[in-house]
Parts: sequence; structure tokens; C-alpha cells
Amino acid sequence: MLFTVVSILLLIALNMRLTFGRFLMKLPEPERKISPDNFKKYIRWIADWKFSFLKLKTWDRALDYLINWARKNYPGWTAWVFFALVLSYIYLALSGLIFAWFVPRGLFGFPLLLHVAAGALFAISLTIILFLKARDYLPEKVSLRAAAQKNHQKGGFWCPLLKKSLPRIYLEALAFWVFVVAGFLLATSTLGSMLPYFNYPAQIFFFHVHRWSALASVLSTCLAIDTMIVE
Amino acid sequence: MPEFGLDDKERIGNKIAKKEPDERHEMKRQKTDRQKTRSIRLKAVWHMGLALVGLAVFIFITISVSRLLEARSQAGPGQEIKLKSEQKKEWTGNQLSPLHRIPLNDEFNQKIVPAAPNALPFSARYSCEPCHSYATISQGTHFNYKNRPAVDRRTEPWFLVDDKTGVQLPVSFQKYPGFWSPEKLGWSDWKFVTLFARNLNGGGPGEPAEEDQTPDSRWNVSGKLEINCLGCHHRSPLQDHSEWVKQVMRENFRWAATAASGLGEVVGMASRLPSTWSIADGPNPDDHEWAVVPQVRYNPNLFDSKNNAVLALPRPEDDRCLACHSVTPRQARSRAEVDRDVHLLAGLKCVDCHRNDLSHEMVRGYEGEKLSHSTLQVQDFSCAGCHLGQKPEKGGQGFAGRLGAPRPAHRGIPRIHFERLACTVCHSGLMPKKEPQPVYTSRANRLGIFGKAVWTSDYPWIVEPVFVREKDKKVYPERMMWPAFWAEIRNGEPVPVDSQEILAAAPEIFNLKEKVASLLNSLIPLAEEGFYPGVIISDYLFEPNVDGGLKTRLLEKSPVAGKDKRNEFLLVQVKQEEVKHLVPDFNPDEPPAGVEDKILSVLQNLRTLSNGCQPVFLIGRYVYRITEGYLDKAEKAGEPAPAPEICWLEGEEFKPFLSDFQVRNLETIGSGPEILTEEQVALALKKMAEAKPERKYAYVASGFVFSLDKSGRLRAGEHRVARAITWPLAHNVRPAQQALGKNGCTDCHSPNSKFFFGKIEASSPLKTAHRDSRLGADLMKTGPLFQFLFGLTFLGRPYFKLFLAACILVMGIILAAVVIKLAGRLSGLENGPGKNSGEE
Repeated sequence: MLFTVVSILLLIALNMRLTFGRFLMKLPEPERKISPDNFKKYIRWIADWKFSFLKLKTWDRALDYLINWARKNYPGWTAWVFFALVLSYIYLALSGLIFAWFVPRGLFGFPLLLHVAAGALFAISLTIILFLKARDYLPEKVSLRAAAQKNHQKGGFWCPLLKKSLPRIYLEALAFWVFVVAGFLLATSTLGSMLPYFNYPAQIFFFHVHRWSALASVLSTCLAIDTMIVE
Repeated sequence: MPEFGLDDKERIGNKIAKKEPDERHEMKRQKTDRQKTRSIRLKAVWHMGLALVGLAVFIFITISVSRLLEARSQAGPGQEIKLKSEQKKEWTGNQLSPLHRIPLNDEFNQKIVPAAPNALPFSARYSCEPCHSYATISQGTHFNYKNRPAVDRRTEPWFLVDDKTGVQLPVSFQKYPGFWSPEKLGWSDWKFVTLFARNLNGGGPGEPAEEDQTPDSRWNVSGKLEINCLGCHHRSPLQDHSEWVKQVMRENFRWAATAASGLGEVVGMASRLPSTWSIADGPNPDDHEWAVVPQVRYNPNLFDSKNNAVLALPRPEDDRCLACHSVTPRQARSRAEVDRDVHLLAGLKCVDCHRNDLSHEMVRGYEGEKLSHSTLQVQDFSCAGCHLGQKPEKGGQGFAGRLGAPRPAHRGIPRIHFERLACTVCHSGLMPKKEPQPVYTSRANRLGIFGKAVWTSDYPWIVEPVFVREKDKKVYPERMMWPAFWAEIRNGEPVPVDSQEILAAAPEIFNLKEKVASLLNSLIPLAEEGFYPGVIISDYLFEPNVDGGLKTRLLEKSPVAGKDKRNEFLLVQVKQEEVKHLVPDFNPDEPPAGVEDKILSVLQNLRTLSNGCQPVFLIGRYVYRITEGYLDKAEKAGEPAPAPEICWLEGEEFKPFLSDFQVRNLETIGSGPEILTEEQVALALKKMAEAKPERKYAYVASGFVFSLDKSGRLRAGEHRVARAITWPLAHNVRPAQQALGKNGCTDCHSPNSKFFFGKIEASSPLKTAHRDSRLGADLMKTGPLFQFLFGLTFLGRPYFKLFLAACILVMGIILAAVVIKLAGRLSGLENGPGKNSGEE
């Protein structure tokens, strides 16, 4: 119950924060503040989107955008690795969260079989992606890109508390490493529960690690979509 | 880059900007009015809520105060108000069991003097009652059968068994599907007790009230079956369960406890006494052989000088429990092959876990158990209660290890197993094999009873383990059997009928083995010294046994096997492993000495079994028969007999010694446990249809209902009363090293595992191809296809683990490298881009 409530709240909160940030970036700088008026405008702005997700055209455009983005950032065969990561992750997240939220028994049956199979694909594709992209998010690279982004205000991440635009690279790096660490923990907890060395309390521990890591990875994915993919 | 949203120009708020000023003012005024109205309404609701809450508080306080005042007024001056009643303490704290030197009283509450003639048997009610409340004890699990709580878990039912007519009917006071209650069967308490007293402890239906006694009962003759306290509590080598059984089979109910305890010997049989006899009539001096009134001769060595019985009555020993609660695999050929429960091997006794207080409501030890009368914390005695401990907030003590129970690590077992499986799935009963294995149980198959006869019965046929998903969605290991009984179809429902009714209508159909045994026994004069007659039919050798039936052996090579030898049989004589022809072959013109005397004896024996035909002996062109008491040898009409044989002469026709019906059905039954064939069932149903055409009869067995169709052929139909019944098992518990899964996940999770894909086929007294069959996965309500695919994944699981480990290793190395780099930067050990450590 705790996990369900916390995960739903966090997801809603994060996505509201990210979309609210985007909304504020559309406003002139003097008007970018947290206020009831702005919040009402934001709600109306979100409401305007609601029908767009029901249109197939929207999803087609999104898919094309994603494919183009992937081909641009992952040239050659690495794009296939990225697609494998995305597809496996989508299934893992959906099957994991839906069963965790709505099915008291948890994940079972054929969805569980596919979850494990998708997990294998996720593990290998994440490993390859990490191998390819880790150097882009090393601290020194991040500092360089941050300095470059400071000179260009456009594309920054608006922080209402600090009342200034932060370099987007920091959040990209955060999303990337959180996703990787969460993926590492997901794989480790899976392997740990399959090994004949750990007792029942450890199995419970692995289960919780898996759940909360999954939540962290979903949150980082939302952040990654906002900071890396969608401009 | 495209964004996902609508154009600002389409926003609704712009509508206001297009209105005239007057209209805008009017709209603002209306909005203000609405806001005022809303706030007034909210205030009104708030005030009403406060008023309601205040009223409720006022009422509560008023009632509480008035109750307190009333209690004070009733208490009176100087009287303490007691809000809780004190419980009377039954136990004084002693850990020892005292040696009981107590007077024994009979059922008239008179002290028993052992040396007195015609002493009555002792009564537990009047002997034990002065110190131990009989009424409280009679509520206990072992006595209060009729009023078991509805939440009580299924337990092994009683079984009505008739080996002749193929009946194994589960009877129970518990109301579960497939269990027939004595009430539904029209049974009185008397009938129930006479059938099952061998494993009853007394009380309950054994002590019916006067108004509950039915015309068929003989309680006045046998006495009531009181609670047999000594049956469990008497620690004496003289305490004998077999003696109890012998006495209750003789309907010596009031004498049974005395005889079984060894306090005295009991002779006589109440079952032979007339129904008008009562205890006040005393012994019959004119009959010392047949209808002897039961009498007790007490053993004076077990009484002291004041005629008090000296009894050691500590906590019950295990063999008391095992007399009624043991299970043995049928394949075990000796006791040495059977391992005892691991708890017993560890030094525990049955009663260490299955405890009770004075209420005698036994702790059964399953998860979720509830006791009605006991004060014990029952959850402490379940598997988890001792081995894992219950949390204090759940009423437990917060730690494991009770009675030395080891705490299991359960390494490598995903938590789903503990949510979906009971502990006993992996740890109890026989290890699962490709099919469930047949077992004997004490109560069903009459184990634990010793004497000259062999008491252990083949039926009912019970198998274990089967794994069944119960209503709490957990899987439990259980025992299973398929009911078999003769039934009358009433309103489409098969209702059991008394099998004696069926037997009376068609005795020759059901006495097949007895008949053949009698015929074979008649041939003993022809057998050599040490040999006994037998008959070979197909691949089987049938010999008479001591109970008047037949025992069967499978032959490696048979002279009458094969399609061209159907309905053929060969009379033989058998001595252990040696088999020879029985019927003598000799020259009838010069018969050897003594042969014709043997033939005469045989024909005389057979005359009593002839059924209207005349027994004759054919040899060559001669026929021997008995004429006016003498052996007559005459010329046979027609062709000479190809081989000497014994047969029946009906008119002018010679019929084989064993009829086609007998040969065919014996061949069909063979050496299997079945006792009936479809032909026998069909014939019996036909006989019943002819005798009572207004009724419709059927035979239920193997998961089907067998009845005759309009053309008179036997057909099998489905009905819920034919379905198998199951009940959970908990013993014997195997050691942890023998638990399911000890060899890895593939014990259960493999494409051909015995756990999911073991085939469970109905077994019953009927030999038939129509047998209910299902897979283990069906009973567990899990898809066989899913389990098959899931089991397949375990073939590649080791490689999957290696693969995952490799990915984790690579990720781990990269993450470690990044962390080290970051730590280096933060600590200043590593220079950042464009910085020199020496620069300011």
C-alpha cells in the first residue's frame, strides 16, 4: 500500500513539476513565479493537451520524433540497442507497476514470464548503453557542457525557487546516473533472489530493493524524457 | 521542435475579453452573489456538523454516567464493584502427574470391589468426574464429533467399507462436499458407533440421550460408550487398543474400557444377548457357551488393600495416538522401511504440539486454526508459530525456537512460495512421484489392531500426496480417495443405499471370489501333501486364502495366456513357489490305489456347492459321478474327454468347472486391487431393475456414476457426488534435507515435474476404463501450459544467472570507476579540466 501511494504521488508530483517548469519557460521571465494565477493557467494549459493523447496522429509524431532522436544520438547499430532498451523497459515498467498497484497478488503468470525475458534484454542493452554513454556524463564533461549551456539561456531548466535557469546537463546527468544505478540494483536484486545463498529476510529485502529501484528508474525516465528527448 | 499542446488563441479565458462593460459588471455581481451564497451554505453545514457531534458526545456521557451510577447503587455500601469475573483455576501449577490411587465406580456410582463376584466394569464418568469435569472434557475434539465448529478444517472422514459389493463411502459429521453425514444416510447413533467404535474414544454419539435412542439400538444391552480416559492417559503395558477393538466389536461397550486397560479380563459377548436383556438381569447361569453375559474378572494386583486402583496417568504416549492416527505407505514391506516423523525423532511427543487444556479441544496446529473452548494460544503451535515465531502484536512471543524448533533459513526460495504454499507442501507426507502413492491409514484401513486375523483392509483406497489449492488460495498437500457406493437416483441425485440390499438381490454376482475359493477348497483331497488347490486363468494364479476369498499371483509364464485361450483355466496345486497339475491323469481301466477315493471325496464336497448341477469327473471315455452315495464309473456318451477334468453335468450337457462368467471376471480383475468388473455391476443393476422397476439404481465409482441406459448397457456419467474427496495431511514431516526443492528449483519447476504433472487417476473397487484423471496442476488451479513453459525456463536458468552476473559485473565496474573519479574530484586528488593543482 505504501509503495502504491508513494509511487503514484511521486510520479504525479514529478511530472507536474516538469510540465510546470515547461509552462513557466513559455512565460516572459518577470512572470515566471509560483502563484495561484500561474497555477490556474498551468492547469488550463494541461487541460488543453488532454485530447491530443487520444489521437493516433499524436503518437505517430511522438514515435517518429523518438526514432529520429535515437538515430541522431545513437548512430549505426547502437540505435537498435537503444530501441531494445526502450521496448523492454516499457514492458517492464508497465507490467511491474500495473501489477504492483492493482493486483494484490503481484506479478504472476505469463506477464511474469515476459517480465523476466524483458529483464534479460533490458540488462544487456543497459550495459551496452552505459558502456557507450558513460563518458558523456562524467563529472568533467558535465562541467564543460554546463559552462557551455550557461552561455545560452535558451534550453535551460527554470528553477522557481532560485528564480533562474539552470543548465539542463545537470539534470540529464542526474537522470542518466539514477537510471543506471536503478537498473544495476534491479538486476542485482533479481540475481540475488535467484541465488541459493540468501535467506527469507534477504528475499524480502531484495523484493523491496527491486520495487523501489523500479520506481527510481521510472522517475529518472520521466526526467530523462523531459531533459534529453523533448526540447 | 514541435510541442504537444493547443494554440493559445483557442483558450477559453479569452471569451471574457470579448464581452461589453455592462455585461462584465453584471457577471461580476452574479459571481459575488454566488460566492456569498456558497459561504453561507458552508457555514450552515459546519454548524450542523458541530451540533451533531455535540449531541452524540452528550448522549454517550449520559449513558456512561447512568450505568456507573446504577452499578454503584446495586453494589451497596462497602461492596467492591467487580467489572470482570474471576476465572476458577483448574491447574495448581504442578508439573508432575500424580500416581492415581483412586476408587473406581461403576455406572451406578457404586465403588467397585475387585474381588466381589459379578463386579461391574468401571465407569469413567463416575470414577474420574470427582476431580475432572466430565462435562467439560466431553466438549473435546475426540468426543464432540457431532458439534464440530463450522470453521474446523477438514479431517479424515470415516469410511463405510464393504469388500463384497465394492463400497467405500466417506462418512463425517463435518459438512463438506463429498462427505456424507450419518443423518443424511439415515444412520442412528447406534449404527455409527457399531461401525466405527474401533477408533472412537467414547462420548459423543456413544452416549446418546434417552430421547435420542432409536428402535434399532441396543444401548440397554451394550451399555453406553463412555469417554475412555484410560485409552489415552493410561501408561501401562497392559493398555491394549486391540482389546478395545475386540470388545466393541462384540458390542461390549460398557466393558470395553475395563478390558482394554488391563484392569480386568472381560469374557462374553453382548452382541449375542437378546435385546430385552439389561444389566440388572445379571449373568445367565444356563448358557456358558453362546450368549454369555459379559463379565469382568479384575486383576487384584492392580488394586491396593483399600480396593483403590493404582493408575499411572501421565501425558499420553505416542503409541496411544498412533493407534488411530498413523499412516503407512502400501509399498512398504516392513516397518523398518518407514521413517517416523522428524519431530518424534527429535524427541518431541505428539502431545508436545497437539496440546489441550481441560476442555480437551486439541490443537491441530494448522495456520488460521481457531479453538472454541480452549484457552490456549493456538497460533503458537502451528509450524510458523514454533519455527518462525509470531510477532508480539499478533499475540505471539516474538521469538522462534519453541521446543527447540530450528529456525529455517529457506535460502534461495522466493517469497511467493511462502504466500502460496503451506509449510507442509514441501515438508510433509510422501515425496511426490509420477503418481500419488496408495497408503493405509489407521482409521480407514484398520491399522494397529492385532490378532490371529489380519485386520488391515485393502479398502478404502487412499492416495497421497495430491496438492490442492484451498479457498484461502494456498496449496496444501492432501490425501485423496474416490467414493464408491451403490445409489438410488432420487430427483436426479444419487443417494447411497444399503449395500446389503444390493447383495441380497444378486448374491451370486458379488460372491464370485468366495464361490471360486469354495470350489477350489473342495478339491483339497486331490492335492498332494503340503499342496493346496489353485487355478490359473490367463496370467494369474488364484488360490484360496484364510478369509475365504482368493489371493492372486502374477505368473511370468502361463500355459493359458493368449487370445486363443480366453475363458480357459487350469486347475493346479500349489506349494509356495511350486505349481503342478491338480487333476490326476491315470488309466481309468486300471486306476491306482486311492485315486477313486479322492475323486469320491471331491465329488461329495462339490455336491454341496452344485446349485442344481451334478459334479462329475471325466477321464477318457469314462465319467465318474455319485449315484446313491457311491462313486459310479460309466461310459461317457460322445467323444472321449481329451484330458481329465472335473465339470458339472446339467441334464445331458457337461459344463466347465468354472463358468465363463467366473473365468472372465477373474481374468479382468487379475491381481489388481479391484474387486468388481463392469459386467458384475451391469448384472447387479439389471437385477435391481427387475426386482424394483419403479426405482433407478446406479453405482458410483472412479469419479463416474454407472447406470444402465435404455438398451440395458452400462454407461458412465458425471456427477458431483462421484468426485474425489480430499483432506489435508500434516504428517509424517520429513527432515529439511528431504524437503521438496532440496535438489533445486527443478524439483517442482521443470517441464516434466511430478509436482505439477503427476497424473492422478481415480482408483476404486471397480475395474473400468472410465476413470477420472487429472494433473496435479489442475488441482492447484494453475494452468498446465504456464507451468510447462515456466518449467522450460529453468532449463536455461543457470545460463541466465551467468549472463545477468556478467551484465552486473560490467555495470558495477563502470559505476565503480565513475564513483572513484567523482571521489577524486571532490577530494581534490584529481584535477578538474583546465585547472592546475598548484594554481591559486
